[in-house]
Amino acid sequence: MRATFPDTGVLRPRLKLTPWDVVVVPLVIVVILLLTIAFQGAAQPFDAATPDLTVSLDPLNLPYYGLRTVFRMFLAVLLSLLFTFTVATLAAKSRRAEVVIIPALDFLQSLPILGFLTVTTAIFLGVFRGSLLGLEAASIFAIFTSQVWNMAFSFYHSLITVPRELREAAAVLRLSPWQKFWKLEVPFAMPSLIWNTMMSVSGGWFFVVASEVIAVVGRDNDQYLPGVGSYIALAIEQADIAAMVYAGLTLLVIILIYDQLIFRPIVAWSEKFKFEQSEAQEVAQSWMLRLLQRSGFAGSLSAIGAVIRRRIPTFPVSEAPGSRVEAQSESRAIDRVLDRVWYGFVIAVTLWAVWFLATYMFGPGLGFENGRVLAANPNVNTDLSPEIARQFATFGVTANPDQTVWLSDVCAATAGGTQVSAELAALLRHERVNVPDDLVAACAVPMAPAGKVAWSEVWECLWLGLLTTMRVVLWIGISTLVWTPIGVWIGLRPRVAQFVQPLAQFAAAFPANLLFPVAVVLIATYALPQDLFQAPLMILGAQWYILFNVIAGTVSIPNDLKEAAQVLGLRGWAWWRKLIIPAIFPAFVTGGITASGGSWNASIVSEIVSWGSTTLTLSGLGAYIAYWSTGEFNPHVGLGMLIMGLLVLAFNRLFWRRLYLLAETRFRLD
Amino acid sequence: MAIAFTPKTTAGIGKVILSARNLHKIFKTPEGNDLLVLDNINLELAEGEIVALLGRSGSGKSTLLRCLIGLVSPSSGEVRYRNRLVTGPMPGMAMVFQSFALFPWLTVLENVELGLETQGIPEGERRRRALAAIDLIGLDGFESAYPKELSGGMRQRVGFARALVTNPDVLLMDEPFSALDVLTAENLRAELLDLWEARRIPTKAILIVTHNIEEAVLMADRVLILSSNPGRIISSQQIDLPRPRDRNDPAFLATVETIYRAMTAPAAAFTGATAVAIDHDSLGMRLPVVEVARVIGLIERIDAGPDRGRSDLPALAADMQLEVDDLFPITDAAELLGFAQVREGDIILLPEGVKLARSDIQERKMIVAEHLMNRVPLVAHIRRVLANRPDHRAPRERFLVELEDFMGAEEAERTLDTVIDWGRYAELFEYDVREERLRLPENGG
Repeated sequence: MRATFPDTGVLRPRLKLTPWDVVVVPLVIVVILLLTIAFQGAAQPFDAATPDLTVSLDPLNLPYYGLRTVFRMFLAVLLSLLFTFTVATLAAKSRRAEVVIIPALDFLQSLPILGFLTVTTAIFLGVFRGSLLGLEAASIFAIFTSQVWNMAFSFYHSLITVPRELREAAAVLRLSPWQKFWKLEVPFAMPSLIWNTMMSVSGGWFFVVASEVIAVVGRDNDQYLPGVGSYIALAIEQADIAAMVYAGLTLLVIILIYDQLIFRPIVAWSEKFKFEQSEAQEVAQSWMLRLLQRSGFAGSLSAIGAVIRRRIPTFPVSEAPGSRVEAQSESRAIDRVLDRVWYGFVIAVTLWAVWFLATYMFGPGLGFENGRVLAANPNVNTDLSPEIARQFATFGVTANPDQTVWLSDVCAATAGGTQVSAELAALLRHERVNVPDDLVAACAVPMAPAGKVAWSEVWECLWLGLLTTMRVVLWIGISTLVWTPIGVWIGLRPRVAQFVQPLAQFAAAFPANLLFPVAVVLIATYALPQDLFQAPLMILGAQWYILFNVIAGTVSIPNDLKEAAQVLGLRGWAWWRKLIIPAIFPAFVTGGITASGGSWNASIVSEIVSWGSTTLTLSGLGAYIAYWSTGEFNPHVGLGMLIMGLLVLAFNRLFWRRLYLLAETRFRLD
Repeated sequence: MAIAFTPKTTAGIGKVILSARNLHKIFKTPEGNDLLVLDNINLELAEGEIVALLGRSGSGKSTLLRCLIGLVSPSSGEVRYRNRLVTGPMPGMAMVFQSFALFPWLTVLENVELGLETQGIPEGERRRRALAAIDLIGLDGFESAYPKELSGGMRQRVGFARALVTNPDVLLMDEPFSALDVLTAENLRAELLDLWEARRIPTKAILIVTHNIEEAVLMADRVLILSSNPGRIISSQQIDLPRPRDRNDPAFLATVETIYRAMTAPAAAFTGATAVAIDHDSLGMRLPVVEVARVIGLIERIDAGPDRGRSDLPALAADMQLEVDDLFPITDAAELLGFAQVREGDIILLPEGVKLARSDIQERKMIVAEHLMNRVPLVAHIRRVLANRPDHRAPRERFLVELEDFMGAEEAERTLDTVIDWGRYAELFEYDVREERLRLPENGG
């Protein structure tokens, strides 16, 4: 007997099939096939000669479109995990990286996700020149940005809160940093990472739908990447009700499959990573996981994986001492010097970035010229119509690739508004062209360089941001008032909760943008007040987070506490005030943070909604960003994103973080 | 003073494996103050001996253990293992944790194997040795179980198996039995001693950190006693009793008694207690963290005991099922408040203590209030501050900041909490948790 390999079966796993493999083997083959098909579709050529991408509303195409959409989602999650494992780990391990990464992530997660689409399209098209992968990458990146931040934060947080005793045990066992990462840190972070990934994917469906239609510079029409999202967009454009229903059903099936085949098994599997001292009463179950565990084929696959893993040479045996657990309290002089250099560098780069951004947005004079504030230089082609842009070109006013025509260019072509031909005058009076009545006077005022913003637009943007903020606050408040009593009612009845809880989570995943057209039709048909009926669209998808967190909070109220309240005769408002509100508060805050983040993002798609030829616009920062998302990143979209990012950051810092701290310190039930 | 506590040369005890020289450990408080935790520690651990490190909570004994194994770096001084300077955990040393420190996502077998993975031992050998360790420690049948399925005793068995599987030269144990119930602890301790006596484990020396005097006397060849604040080795007791040791053996009881005396000797006592005499006005006096009710309970017990007003500490501890960590703070508090006196392992009630024991609840509160005002400067100070304020209120933070001049932030929190507890009992002041404010009672106290 060879001492080293006592069990040769471990090395050469024989394929032992079980009856369960009748299902598992075909399933694996089908999955591989589908991935191949999706990849082939995504890797087709795409260049200037390729006709505009479009989709067909024939429902028979939906399975394929669904596959492409799922493929994008899948890659976005992989990308998010990759980012999480590298960047969050770096932040947790290196103090110097931490001071840069954490504030950067905090700011990035406050930025409106859909704004990223304009930033990245051009970059990715350049990287994947001549291939559709460029557009695919832009879409995937948009989904990625909607998912990655909370995953990275959760992972970072887990890494820095690994219990001391386990870190000590790992150090005494002299695990190498690599072993420590995989044996201790990753498993410890697993449950929270999986939960956050689930939340991310659930929120991601919304952005999949919104990020499959992409404006490309140099093309008159938007590009429709094959997918359910573009199918929906086209259906909205053509006001096709049947197509909307088909799309809704497709998404329903996709989300269901995703949940059953992927997430439930993973959650059930991750139960073992929970860091708890006793076994939980209720353990997550998954039929899929049981199927895989009983399948001989899947078992053999994982055995092969294990053999490969064993073959990877481990680190050489070392007699060297392991690493200490405490941080060196007395830092060395060289460290202090390096610290100073590093912080100095970070500050310099930050200052340079701010200066760069400011000149990019305002132009070289930062919005001033000779001590005077420059006036706004508006885009006169308000609807960005390619037609009108072409007409302007015939008069010597060159339109930009994104169809914008700046007032300053009009002035330049007409010698300050003095030489306007009759034809041009007619064009300037066109209802879709917005030129001041007194062109000469307008041209006389010094205005911002073409495409740049002026300070007056900053104030306007802030005002729009305030409007959107007020909507977010109002509708979060209203949905709290509506869903809290309902959630508590459900949570107090375990049977109902068991049934409703998955439904609420499902509703949160279901992209609410699908329902926007219903609102458009209703508002347009009955001439309803927009502020009252269009604004709540932003909370449509986000409200469910409040509901299912309130339910979860209520379910977890200990029975003895409820009984004590009963014995004490707490009733009515006192019962709410003394028992329910404090008990569900932490869960509510968690839901509220998610819901408010979701509605900020949704404002970009919910402040401009359309159905067929009807478009309803609500003035707000979301509509502003959506309007300026012309296919190319520009100073205006930058301004909108920056202001929204700062508003969200301020809102989170001043409001949610305080509630969160309160929940952590005062209202914990353990 | 630099006494090296070296083992006496008795049969079976060989050369030194692990040693500490002039070891100091200073922690930085968040305010940037230095806190001396270990003061000039010198010790040696030789082949063939079990050494117990005995001290109260806060004596720095766990920190000392972590310095010895290389988890924590000493501020000055050095640790040597087989003549090599310890700069991190060394191969050949293993540790057993109070809280087991098992990886909950690994099975029993995987947890035990983990210790071998870093040693580059091939798969099969690893499995064989892990199974052997599991067998040795009495865990067969649980190889594929996860730690959370096991009881505390079984979990600590996994902790032992994980430590022993590497065939360690030195085994360091940090209160390994204190998270277990009495019977389980007894059982596991006996089994470990059996393995040691029968030389079924290759381990050459064991160091156990404990606050349980009986445990130390049951297991150790030598007991080192650590004082608190800062931690200093104040005494070394050789224990030459034959094994297995019998708790009822008069020699055993005498040894326990001796150690009790050593631990209650003035130099060892909680610095707070001695501070009364030396430095009466200092606000920075460290207070034993203990509830008033326990102090009164103890005094009642002594008063009602067979020797009326006098009690032998080991007997009292056994009687009340308390360990050093629980008992000493109570006796410290009783001494500090002037109700009792500890002398040579006995506690004797003072007249005031007898009076307290025989009063009703309102009288007791008044007696305690009087003693607090006279003997705890911080209480008197708080009363003075509150009385001088027009609204008779002051935020907790105000006193905390003051205390932090004398001690670390955590210590300050603990001290203030204790004083608030005592003051509330004695109705000297009231405290609003929500507003974190102290105030005089409505009726003026």
